[in-house]
Order: sequence, then structure tokens, then C-alpha cells
Amino acid sequence: MSQPAFAVDVDHNQYLYDGARDVSAIATVTSDGTPGEAAVASGGSGSAEIIIIDCSGSMDVPHTKITQARTATSAAVDVVRDGVWFAVIAGTSFAKPVYPANGTMAMASPQTRAEAKRAISGLRAGGGTAIGKWLQLARQIFASSPATLRHAILLTDGRNQHETPEELAAAVSASEGYFSCDCRGVGTDWEVSELRKVSTALLGTVDIVPDPAGLAADFESMMQTAMSKQVADVALRVWTPQQAEVRFVKQVAPTVEDLSARRTTASGQVGDYPTGAWGPGESRDYHVGIRVQPGGVGQEMLAARISLVVTTSAGPQVLGQGMVRAIWTDDEQLSTKINPRVAHYTGQAELASAIQEGLEARKQGNEEAATARLGRAVVLAKQSGNEDTARLLAKVVDVIDEATGTVRLKKKVADEDEMALDTRSTKTVRVRKEHG
Amino acid sequence: MSARATEDMPCPTCGQPVGVWDGFCEACGTELAPPVVSAGQPGHVPQCPVCAADPDAPSAAVTADGYCESCGRKVPTSRDHVDLDLGVMAGVTDRGQRHTRNEDAMALAAPRTPDGQLALAVVCDGVSTSPRPDEASLAAAQEAVRMLLTSARVGDDMGEASLAAVRAAAHALTRVAGPDGAPACTYASAVVGPDGVTVCWLGDSRAYWLADADSACLTRDDSLAAELVANGVLAEKDAMASPQAHVITQWLGADFPDPQPHVARFTPPGPGVVLVCSDGLWNYVPEAADLALLALPAALISPLDAAAALVKVANDAGGRDNITAILVPFPLRTP
Repeated sequence: MSQPAFAVDVDHNQYLYDGARDVSAIATVTSDGTPGEAAVASGGSGSAEIIIIDCSGSMDVPHTKITQARTATSAAVDVVRDGVWFAVIAGTSFAKPVYPANGTMAMASPQTRAEAKRAISGLRAGGGTAIGKWLQLARQIFASSPATLRHAILLTDGRNQHETPEELAAAVSASEGYFSCDCRGVGTDWEVSELRKVSTALLGTVDIVPDPAGLAADFESMMQTAMSKQVADVALRVWTPQQAEVRFVKQVAPTVEDLSARRTTASGQVGDYPTGAWGPGESRDYHVGIRVQPGGVGQEMLAARISLVVTTSAGPQVLGQGMVRAIWTDDEQLSTKINPRVAHYTGQAELASAIQEGLEARKQGNEEAATARLGRAVVLAKQSGNEDTARLLAKVVDVIDEATGTVRLKKKVADEDEMALDTRSTKTVRVRKEHG
Repeated sequence: MSARATEDMPCPTCGQPVGVWDGFCEACGTELAPPVVSAGQPGHVPQCPVCAADPDAPSAAVTADGYCESCGRKVPTSRDHVDLDLGVMAGVTDRGQRHTRNEDAMALAAPRTPDGQLALAVVCDGVSTSPRPDEASLAAAQEAVRMLLTSARVGDDMGEASLAAVRAAAHALTRVAGPDGAPACTYASAVVGPDGVTVCWLGDSRAYWLADADSACLTRDDSLAAELVANGVLAEKDAMASPQAHVITQWLGADFPDPQPHVARFTPPGPGVVLVCSDGLWNYVPEAADLALLALPAALISPLDAAAALVKVANDAGGRDNITAILVPFPLRTP
């Protein structure tokens, strides 16, 4: 595999008024290579994939759930490249290896894929739901392979009823940093916030697949994305001056993920934030907020240095670099200029929280708060051109005035529309840096 | 009148006698009266002054890009403030109070030539809206003084030599242009000889004659403000106050292929001092008579102290821009 490389491009208003302390910047991180370029040459023992299928009793109601889950899992197995380690787990109140049956991983080949699909076709529904146990088994199975790029797909249709929230939390935290996990809920009987906790901690996505018939296409595309990853365990490294404070570090595109609490301190002034695995040509935006000691007018300070840390066989390697400068000025024209991308992503992050808070208030029966928050979301979605989210919002509220955010809660909302709005609330619309 | 030395002097490097008009030592090749430029000290390893004084700071080391590893402050480079003193002339350049680096550059030389002692002064002010303006000004000043010096040593006409120096500086800027664009700067030079002064300029750096009476600005800016005044559209005071006052209409840079530098000659009526400066100084004190009050009589005794005093006036008034001032007392003194 060729040497990984990253470019970091920082966009912000570097001018601060006299006495100002807060520096806010968007860092666009782009990995080297052509997007979609298959990592054929680098396949080898590098990657490992586990598919975890909910086989609880409810997966039989309607029966199409389990049959479509089988089809989807087989479709995903078909996408696993030759030479990649893989396994399939069936989840109930317990977790059981489906393929290979001995609880290890198989190396993908036409033969092992055929064997796996045979085993998958025998999956039956019956039993409870204990997602923590499923994750635990996945961790053990991953450990049996030499692969370092570990990714799982988890499918469930219900709430985590057969273990305590603490048990799930413990299993999630034990898996954190060890493998990444994309979560899917089929039907509408599962809990968005519960699954989001798993996907967020494990640096994956969460989404609803309301109709079981949509599973196969979704699984295939998730597996294709996973197959494009080449570099595992990349961390965003943020250097700040002494006595500076990192107020937040958020991924803001393609989705909003607050990484602030996930800092590991590399040294006094250097913190690392997990970003998971990267594919060639992949690009993400991060919003970084730093509070520095104020300088005098005319003084320049380096408020942060942003780079990427990749763990290689030769140890951790620091790649790419972006500089977040701060210059104090008494020129108000300079210091009051709002960077359009900082403003855009600030709005997008607020949009996600307005939706989540609005839906929560609605669930609690607090109509006033729900109307206010979802109305605010309508305004933000409009302002930032987030049409997908605007469309999802319109299924939950009647929009009376888009500009002012005057809305009325719909009397009847389909569960799947509400859950789709919730899971996709963090999806952002990307804005590019203005050049010239 | 400057007394012309008639005897041979020893080479400062090898001690062999050299002729008074020689540019180089015939024995060892040492350049005699070489030009000096405000390039700072190459190889100088700076320390963060704040963290060096703080026992709790983990380090005062400065990274290659100029920031303190502990507190993140941009640490002044050795170009931020430079004093150059050749005895017959002196110059001071300073970052000022508001800018984070010094994008002005100056170059000085005091050769002895067949025409007698000469003083060569060049000031370039990097255009802030161009990329790497600090590189532009330094490259242009360095190249121009080199060309002026070569011409002076062979006794060329200094008007022609001044134009050749601008062309050489323009060429130097085509070499520093890169994918990020064309670094650009203004230009002002003065050649002071026994009989008079030759000034040459592009943009809004200036040369002045300062004396007890009849002080005058010897240059006319290539700026929108100057054009508005010249065309009678605005009074000078109003033009300078307009937001466009500092928009220059000519400059040196690869993006401005055919600059038309101006040359003017001036014969001083008596003793006084020639000032070459950037707009960081004249913005605060535009009038020649006011500058003369500040610079004289100190400039006749110590041009370095007088240049430092002028820079201080601009800094005390706010130092919004980089400030550069070179002073050459006339008649030229013998070093």
C-alpha cells in the first residue's frame, strides 16, 4: 500500500478585535488519491468485515424482515473483495457465529462467499435483543484475524430489551477505537437514540430502512464504502498554545459529529480526536473552536495547528498540516467579517440539534417547545439550502412561513417519517471554500 | 565639497593597497564598499521573548514557520527592525505597530567612484495584496542596488543607471513569482553624488529634499489619490483621506509587465539631507517642511539617529504600516 497522505485546508477569519479570544475555523481534510479507486492492491490482510443480523423473534413479523435480511446479508457478502477477512453473526439475547461457525474469520474467495451464503440462508428468527452481546462477539471474532481495518454492519429491528443500558454502554466502550460500525434499523420499532449511541461511538452511520425490501441495496452500498477504505484509525491532531482551550472539535461534513469529548491527550498541548478509517480521495470538514489568551493589536498568534495522525507499522505518523492563525486588529471591517463556511456549518450543527430537540419535545407532549424547535429547524434548513432535510421536516410539520419558521405540528405523522428525520438530522450540505 | 582621497588605502581583507576608485581588491577580490540590505540575519535562530522570560514556559523555541512552540505567538524575525549605517548615509526600517511582519526593504551602498563618493539608496514597500510581498521588496531592493553599484563604478549616467536598476528589479520579481501569484512592491531610489541627486520611483514610496528652506518632495506618487489631485478632482487633503488614497497605479511585479518608472534630477541649493522613505512614514508626516523640522539638524550629524527618530515619530503616531527611512546628508561626507 502506498504511503497515506492528507491535505488540510483551513478557512476562517483570522482577524480578531482587540481583546477577543475565540477563534473559529473550518478545516477541510482530504485524503490523497482518486475517490472510488478500488483498493485492490492493498486488499490483502488489511481489512475485516463482520455483518451482524438481528434474528430476534420480531424479525419474523412480518416474515419479509428476516427473508430480506438474509438477502441483504448475502448481497453484502458478494461485495466483499477477495482477500478480505469476513464473518457473519446472528444476534438474539445471545450472539452466535453464523459463518464461519467456529467463531473465527474467513478470507473472502468465491468458495468462502458461497459457503457463507449457504449458512445465511439457514438463518431463522426467534429470541430477544441484546446488542451489547453482539458487539462483544464481534470484537472477539475480529481479534482472530490479523486485519487492522475493522468494520461491522449491524442490523436490528427492535429495542435493546434483553440487557441493561449499562451492559450495552460497556460493550460499546470496549469496542470503541477497535472497530467501526454502521447501524441500520429496519421497520419502526427500534430506538433512534439507542442505535445512534452505538454508531456515534463506533464512528459509523445510523439510518432507517423502513421497508425490508430496501435492505439489500443499502447493505451493498455500505459494504462498497467499507471496501474503499484504505487507512485505519486516523486521528485529527490539534496543537494549541499553552493556556489555550479547545472549545470544540466537530466533524461537520458529511455529517455532524461532535468529537470534543473524545480527545485523547498526546502531550500537554496536543490532543487527538478519532476520525476512523479513510478511503482515497475522501474529504471531510471539521469545525474547530479555540479560546486563546488575547494578544495586542498587531500581534499574530498561531491558535492551532491541525494535522492527521496515522498509525503505521513504523509507529504513529503525522501527516498534512493546516494552520489556524489569529491576528488582532483594530480594523473593524476585518474583525467583524463573518466567514461564510464557519457560519454555514454553525447553522448546520444547530439544525441537527433543533431537529433532535424538537422531536424529543414532541415525544414528551411538549407541543410548544416542539413547534419552536422544529420551526427553527425549518428556517435553518432553508438558509443553508439543505433541501433533503427540508423535505423530511415537511413530513412532520406543516410549514406556514419558511422564512420566519412559522410551523404547525402535523396531527398524524408516520413513525418512519419521524425516524428518518431524526436519523438524517445530522446530514449536512457541504459548502466549498471561495477561491479568488 | 568632499575631500577626495588621493592615496591608496589597504584592502580590509588582505591589507594590499587598493586604488581609491576600485570596486574590488585586485589582490584578493574582496568587494570594496559592498551594498548592504535589510535582509535580517540569515541563520539567526530566534527565541520567543515572552516564554524565554517565563520560568514556567516549557520552551521558548520557535518553529520553522516562526511561531513559539509554547505560546503560539508569532516571534519577530530579524527583518522586523533593521538599522544600517554606512557613515555617509544610514537607514532604519521597522515593522510598525499593526503589521505582523516587515514587508518594506531597503538597500544602501556608498561606493567611491571615478566621479567621487556616491550614496545609493533604495526603498521598496511590498504590496500587501500580493503574495509574499516581503520577498518581493527584498528581492527588488537587492537587485536594484546591485545594478546601481555596477553602473556607478564604471561612471555611467545615473539617470540611465536608475532606469536599468528598475528593469533589473522587475526581472528579479519575475523569478520570485509562483503558482500563488506575482509578489509585488513599490520602488524609490536616490543616487546622491557631489553635484546633485537623481531620484527614480514607481508607486508611492517617496524621496524628499529636506533643508532649512525650500524643502520639497522630489517624487510624485503613482496613486489614485495623486491622480485625483493632479487632475484637479480633489484637494490633496481630501484625496489622502479617501479610501482609495493608497491604491497605487504602478508597481513592480510579474503581473505588471511594462512599468514606466519616473526619473528626476535635483541640484541642491545648499546643505541639507535627502530622505527616501515608504508611506509608513509620510502618511503621518507628508509635508517636506515638517519632515525637515523633525530631521534637521540631527541628520547632518548622525543620519542613523535622525532616521531612527523619524521612524519613532511614525510608530508613536500609530505605526499602521511598515516604516522605512534612509537619510543621506548633502554634501556627502567623507567616510
